[in-house]
Amino acid sequence: MSAIVEIQGIEKKYPGVVANHNVNLAIKKGEIHAIIGENGAGKSTLMKILYGMVMPDSGTILVDGKKVIFKSPQDSIALGIGMVHQHFMLADNASVLENVILGSEPTSFGGVIQVDAARAKLIEITKNYGLDINPDQLVAELGVGERQRVEIAKVLYRGAQILILDEPTAVLVPQEVDELFRNLKDLTSHGLTIIFISHKLDEVLSIADDISVMRAGTTVASVIPSKTNKKELAELMVGRELPKRREVSTKPGLEKILEIKDATYVTPDHREILHGVSLEVHSGEILGVAGVEGNGQSELIEMIMGLVKASSGNVSIMGHDISDSSSREIRDSGVGYIPQDRQRDGLLMSAPLWENRILGHQATAPMANGFWLNKAAAKKDSERIVVDLDVRTPSINVMAAALSGGNQQKFIVGREMADKPSLLIAAQPTRGVDVGAQALIWNQLIEARLAGMAILLISADLDELFNLSDRLAVISGGKIVAVLDPDKTTPEQLGLAMTGEKIA
Amino acid sequence: MSALLNNVMKNKVVRKFASPWRLALLVALVLIVISVVRRITGANDLTSAGLSSATLRFTIPLLMAGLGGLWAERAGVINIGLEGMMIAGTWIGAWFAFLHGPWIGFLAAAIGGALVGLFHGILVVKIGIDQAVSGLAINLLALGAARYLSGVLFIPNGGDISVSPMVQQPGYLTVPGISSWLLSINGKNIIILSDAAGVLAGFVTEISWATIFLLITVPLSTWILWRTRFGLRLRFCGENPIAAESLGVKVYRTRYMALAISGMFASLGGAYLSLVASQVYREGQTAGRGFIGLATVIFGNWRPSGVLAGSVLFGLTDALRVRQPTSIHAALLVIVILGALFVIWSITRGRMKTASITAAAALFIGFIYIKVPIIPNEFVTFFPNLATILVLVLLAQKLKPPAMLAVPYREREEGH
Repeated sequence: MSAIVEIQGIEKKYPGVVANHNVNLAIKKGEIHAIIGENGAGKSTLMKILYGMVMPDSGTILVDGKKVIFKSPQDSIALGIGMVHQHFMLADNASVLENVILGSEPTSFGGVIQVDAARAKLIEITKNYGLDINPDQLVAELGVGERQRVEIAKVLYRGAQILILDEPTAVLVPQEVDELFRNLKDLTSHGLTIIFISHKLDEVLSIADDISVMRAGTTVASVIPSKTNKKELAELMVGRELPKRREVSTKPGLEKILEIKDATYVTPDHREILHGVSLEVHSGEILGVAGVEGNGQSELIEMIMGLVKASSGNVSIMGHDISDSSSREIRDSGVGYIPQDRQRDGLLMSAPLWENRILGHQATAPMANGFWLNKAAAKKDSERIVVDLDVRTPSINVMAAALSGGNQQKFIVGREMADKPSLLIAAQPTRGVDVGAQALIWNQLIEARLAGMAILLISADLDELFNLSDRLAVISGGKIVAVLDPDKTTPEQLGLAMTGEKIA
Repeated sequence: MSALLNNVMKNKVVRKFASPWRLALLVALVLIVISVVRRITGANDLTSAGLSSATLRFTIPLLMAGLGGLWAERAGVINIGLEGMMIAGTWIGAWFAFLHGPWIGFLAAAIGGALVGLFHGILVVKIGIDQAVSGLAINLLALGAARYLSGVLFIPNGGDISVSPMVQQPGYLTVPGISSWLLSINGKNIIILSDAAGVLAGFVTEISWATIFLLITVPLSTWILWRTRFGLRLRFCGENPIAAESLGVKVYRTRYMALAISGMFASLGGAYLSLVASQVYREGQTAGRGFIGLATVIFGNWRPSGVLAGSVLFGLTDALRVRQPTSIHAALLVIVILGALFVIWSITRGRMKTASITAAAALFIGFIYIKVPIIPNEFVTFFPNLATILVLVLLAQKLKPPAMLAVPYREREEGH
């Protein structure tokens, strides 16, 4: 089969950053072609170039063997290229049909929309490709999976033959991922071509016909899934051997840093979320908390951070009861906090990085100087974090929103560890970040542990828990059901414990 | 899954069929209550042709301001400058009517208002000035400009610094046959029937052609906004401009047009004040109607028919206040009875919270009805505002403002 899209020698520079350099790709008709790479490897820039949102500085794009120049998305749409954006571009307060036809409305004289013709066309598309959506439903009523199908329908409605999907699974739950993959297979069986951008190696290996790997703005390899494996892909992505995870093992200290005694939490509407939870974390120890999400982990974190109050029992940090303390008092007493939702709880997305450095440290030196904030100190320490944690950003003056997810997370990790807290609460510290950032964050946690920090690690990633934890506490139904030694536990045993089974 | 979808669709269809009947039933119920109250209290003005035509006259300027607000807000821009655009309309309408007759006055007001709206658009959309600041600036500017221009143009022509010379108003329509027939039924004092005839007679007797043309803009707005390509794109500029732009919609251009239309409506409302409601321009004639227009947009849940309902509510209280203050006292009794009926209906639906809030409000108004024989004008003026606040409190969950209302949007730079 010949290549339907060929990209040759694409270059794109932004002030201070080379986003794409000598990028070469050949995509065959009717295949699912995955493009993988770390956050910031240039995947998104490349796709924006292919979709006409960004013009390359040099290089050529061939579609069906003909050289093309895209000045705007309209040009690429006209040649049958469509983009399914990672962040959905839908209006809640309008129907599915209205969202789909916007910009390509069939009209009769005077600009009146031919609603019936449009609906018929959309229904035909949804039937042909097995997309389960109702044209007359309000988008506000739809779940995430359905919204994604609307986005796909939008692209198909415009007659796209080549679909670009930008990290489509990032927002989906596993069942929705399965349905998406079925839809994608359906589309390729009808002769459509799919470009699938991801950094989730398992998914790429299971769905793609061809894989191209990008690193530092350039394409470094093209492989087929049957002839490679996760480890090799990961190494291609980061360009080096992955660091050994548990390099050093020393005994944790004996000093109790965090102690939770018989804590219970009942919501205002009388649901009992935590029942008699008791936990201890010592200095120089990582205590992993494993559990199926929604079993009380969030409430446990919020209780320690003073965001909710325990209904009974108490929480103490270094011997001081903090059950009645405010979040600020708790933080000031030497607690760092990496929240599980970095964009909601960890950053001010529309504030510059150096202002984000102050967050959570606004009341204590060096970020505060009495009543005043110390801007110079904030800037200086932001620079340090950018260097130490390899945060890829043009400068510390850009908005947090301008950084990719992995770089945002690295910045948060750097900030929370800056004051060398005695206790660190790390909630899903590497969720949704690429393997390079993950390795870096893991190393940070391990080094901090060696330096004597007590770390409470809440994670849904079993690899992460096994590789980092000194002890594993399993939470199920709001109770700690087991405390395990990761060296003597298999993932199967842990899985059983998480579902509430007793371990023999 | 598909069974669920079918259900949703069925429900929608059922609702569509049910609503005109429910509306008719509601109108009949209100009419019966008013009719009974009129009998009891002897407040004969409540259902007179005079009241309904006065209500119409007070409603139109508010309706135009409201539609102006609606067109701007549907595209995502709040138009605080409605009041200033109305002032522009009163002045331009009066001056051009003085020179060339009332219809040229309306035409000039429409064009002038559109230009002022466009000016607001350039300030907030292109330059990025805060929407409230720009709106307030337009209000102040219009006030000063009108006074200055009055000095220059009205004084040499027999007017004053704050008053224009008298102008001619557009013609009237009295539907032959039907008007006199309805008025005769109204005169016979048959319960309900005479009341209905009285209210209807107001709509077919000596109604200004301007009123008729401006009323047509309500269904016209609905049709354009929900049935045409331009309307769909305009609404998406208010709901998700990023999505709209990604699909080739020119967000800036669409918002300019929305604001020009917004200014045109507000200005037509102003021209109606100076040409139909009083045949003379007077400083301060708009009396905050631009701001009430903004309230009707919220009251009407960002829909033209809702804006009409809100404007009628405000217009009716204005008309009652001006015509016969005693009938306001009777109107309180109407509200109490309707409130009581609503409480019963809510209880049967199990909506205890709504029922108790309404019951408390009805009891309060009932108390006033008994204790205060003459309602102070201040309360009357305030009443529609209270109703708007109640709508906000009781229906906040169901109100659907455009998602990106008042959020500034920057178009993507070329090639970036």
